[in-house]
Amino acid sequence: MSDFFVIVMKELKDLMRNKQIIVGMIIVPLILFPALGKMISFGISEAKEETKVILVNFDEGKYGNVLISALKAAPNVTVTLIDAQTVQEVIQKAQAEGYNVVVIIPKDFSKNIEANEKTYVEVYAVFKGISAGIKESVSEGRINVVLQVLNEELAKLKISETVKGNPEAILHPIDAKSYSVIQGRIVDVPPSVVSGIIYSQAFSIPLVLFIMISYVSQMAATTMAAEKENKTLETLLTLPVKRITIITGKMVGTAIIALVASIAYMIGLKYYISSFSPENMTQIGITLKDLGLEMTPKGALLFGISLFLSIVFALSLAMLISVFAEDIRSASTMVSMIMMPLLFPIWILMFKDVSTLPPAVKYFLYAIPFSHPVIASRAVLLKQYGIVYAGIAYLLFISGAMLYITAKFFSTEKVLTAKLKWGKRRGAEK
Amino acid sequence: MTAIKVENLEKDYGKVKALKGISFEVKEGEIFGLIGPNGAGKSTTLKILATLLMPTGGRAEVYGHNVVSEADEVRKLISYLPEEAGAYKNLTGYEYLQFMAKLYAKTGKSVEEMLKLGVEIAGLGERIHDKVATYSKGMTRKLLLARALMVMPKLAILDEPASGLDIINAYAIRQTIKRFAREEGVTFLVSSHNMLEVEFLCDRVALINKGIIVEVGTPKELKEKYNAENLEEVFMKAVGVRL
Repeated sequence: MSDFFVIVMKELKDLMRNKQIIVGMIIVPLILFPALGKMISFGISEAKEETKVILVNFDEGKYGNVLISALKAAPNVTVTLIDAQTVQEVIQKAQAEGYNVVVIIPKDFSKNIEANEKTYVEVYAVFKGISAGIKESVSEGRINVVLQVLNEELAKLKISETVKGNPEAILHPIDAKSYSVIQGRIVDVPPSVVSGIIYSQAFSIPLVLFIMISYVSQMAATTMAAEKENKTLETLLTLPVKRITIITGKMVGTAIIALVASIAYMIGLKYYISSFSPENMTQIGITLKDLGLEMTPKGALLFGISLFLSIVFALSLAMLISVFAEDIRSASTMVSMIMMPLLFPIWILMFKDVSTLPPAVKYFLYAIPFSHPVIASRAVLLKQYGIVYAGIAYLLFISGAMLYITAKFFSTEKVLTAKLKWGKRRGAEK
Repeated sequence: MTAIKVENLEKDYGKVKALKGISFEVKEGEIFGLIGPNGAGKSTTLKILATLLMPTGGRAEVYGHNVVSEADEVRKLISYLPEEAGAYKNLTGYEYLQFMAKLYAKTGKSVEEMLKLGVEIAGLGERIHDKVATYSKGMTRKLLLARALMVMPKLAILDEPASGLDIINAYAIRQTIKRFAREEGVTFLVSSHNMLEVEFLCDRVALINKGIIVEVGTPKELKEKYNAENLEEVFMKAVGVRL
């Protein structure tokens, strides 16, 4: 077995038995997230139950009864008609018998409609406790939909009585027919749907990258700082093994665990999100492929290279930073302090296309290695490979340089003596 | 053959001069002790010989290889036990020895041979299969000594091998060192501030104080020269402290 492989295996074994890492990797993402999602989806499914309406009709004309028939015909709504004298009385009855909604049709309901005056219906949603109130708002929404339909139908009826022509056309003279143009191709899909699909993509890639890079760099810093804290580094550095082998072995071991952790995180997050957004894009039946935005094998490969190089950069930088720390906690803090400013700007890319930004911001983002996988993820969909190649060339240079600096640093005594002094304390020298 | 050759070795940590030009030689198969108080420069000397630190002046050789320009060669010959060393807490003692054996196996002995020897030196019985995190200080130290010796180095550099240990553990460690020097011909460079320990263990000693070597010789020679009962007294007289 080569030295490199021996070090990778040791690193994997050591990390896999670290309780904090296992808890962070499995318990939080794979148990907590789906559990949280389940709880929310349970609340939503409960809200989708039958809306039980208690209805009092004080109206004496025909329109009160039209409304009652419309409500009875609406899906997921059951209507119970009762006689009552006051609003208070109805509400008490609703509370006692478990009704969600109280609807009261006032006295002059039909009279006002006939006289072409505005009228109203009182809708009371009954909150049973202090919860999110999803059920109550869903119920109220259902009544409103019925009222809206009724409004339209009444308006059309009145229009047909007084004016010639198509009542629908008079009520809504203009309809928009929406299309999207993607890369010069007309697609018969409204732009809101397209932007929804692209947004979910635009949002998820930087998020995934953010989580992954944070994990990778924290773990790299931890493994290196642990060597210092547990006093194993000096022994490690006197072994008949090349320093570059030690670093790359540790980096690969760390990267494997960090990638597994990131995947677990993504799976957990996906469960969490999908549990309360069932009407996602796949159910509408339109995918990126239908829009002509397909990732080709070449595109996937280029994106993969870009991602890999940015991880190499994060690992090398984190290892270098952790050399200056005395223990795991300070290494973790130092890595966060340096990594976060490098990671946050990529959030800009969630909302903006890099080419539309002012030059100063654009070049600032180009200079940050972690922007490139995000930029590449979009460019490969549009088959704009030029910018991807340029990004990879830049990453190759900057990640290579970072790895070289880290390796150089490890071949000097600075790896043992380097210390960032936080003010007062000075280590005693021997 | 000369195992270690140190000539005018200097080391500065910024303004602090840890070593002010020390020279000594260690013969093959010898147990050589570097003794002196805390901060005398013992650990610095050992770290330079273990290829961890760069000297700022002079030179040092291990079996004819320069510790700076031929560090890779030196690392194949030595085994270094730092003063405050630890082992990977999430591994078992056995797994720790196995990891180290695999990295040294190319230098001659097989992994199995090294492991067998390592387990024997550590003397931890069934506890060798427990996680290092559960070990006492003495157990960890014995595991680390086992790691250092199982690879059969030509030179073992041990920084305070028995410091902070109880009598039984310290005794066991000294016995092991003696056995490896006599039976296996391993050369030892040992540092200690425990002069009595060194007197028992070492063939020759160098007294070091404030970065300067004040005396070199066998414990017997030094005691006779200073008309002292033990090395402690020798040291005090050599550095000019009135008793």
